[in-house]
Amino acid sequence: MTSTFYHFEDFRPGQRFGFGQYEVTKEEIIEFAAEFDPQPHHMDEEAGRRSILGGLAASGWHVCAMGMRMFGDAFANQTASRGGVGVEECRWMKPVRPGDVLHIEMEVVETRILKSIPDAGIVKFRWDIFNQREQVASLTLLPLISKRGA
Amino acid sequence: MWFEEIELGVKRTIGSHKFTQDEIIAFGKKYDPQPFHVDPVAAKRSSYGGIIASGWHTVAIWMRLMIEFQKSLGPEAWRGGVSPGFEDLRWIKPVRPGMTLTYSTETIEKIDLKSRPELGLIKSRNEARDAHGMLYMSFVGKGFIPRKPAGEAS
Repeated sequence: MTSTFYHFEDFRPGQRFGFGQYEVTKEEIIEFAAEFDPQPHHMDEEAGRRSILGGLAASGWHVCAMGMRMFGDAFANQTASRGGVGVEECRWMKPVRPGDVLHIEMEVVETRILKSIPDAGIVKFRWDIFNQREQVASLTLLPLISKRGA
Repeated sequence: MWFEEIELGVKRTIGSHKFTQDEIIAFGKKYDPQPFHVDPVAAKRSSYGGIIASGWHTVAIWMRLMIEFQKSLGPEAWRGGVSPGFEDLRWIKPVRPGMTLTYSTETIEKIDLKSRPELGLIKSRNEARDAHGMLYMSFVGKGFIPRKPAGEAS
């Protein structure tokens, strides 16, 4: 990652970026689940083992939040970001477990100009989130990013 | 509730949540530290004119309300809980401190799974609206729901 400050014009389809090194702990999995997704397979190892997930696993929403943190640390605060308008699709592909270390491979899929907001545009990013072994999730995000001089 | 028993097209209110500035900033500091989520002074200068909640926070609250709602229906109501993902999540309007959003869910599609005959997949439309009925957030959720085993009474 360079120290560039990115505006809408700096993104072109096909650009790729890699970032993140998020260490997932059991404590954080349980803490997030207790607040937002209190289901047994996100809070208890034994219940996780008995579930379709085959062991304690992070809430999918927690995986998204950890992705956002990696994106924020590496990228959002070096970008003229105005927040997201949404997420086209999210796929939770594999369980995320204590001890996993996550990273993101991000690709610019498309850039979109908006009639309604002349000083910014949408940059469609695809995040492929991996642990140390395999891909665990994929998200297509739609952040609004200011144009240069806006 | 088994997959077979889930009704299409019934919109249910699952609960409401009031967003405080403290919890918006706490979530932002942990997971989405952009200035307009964590810093009241910088947020005032931003295009939003003040602190707003992370979109991931507004949708995480949906999850909690959904679980509380299912639990309130009794132990037989919630057999699901594992999801392969979601589609078409829209953060439509900024959610500001002091606002109360009311969340709803409606099953819009039931899909048979050839690969997993013991489960069905449901799609649900989920929304968050303010007291005036203005839409702030919506998405299409997906969930695996167990099918009724052969011989099980309903």
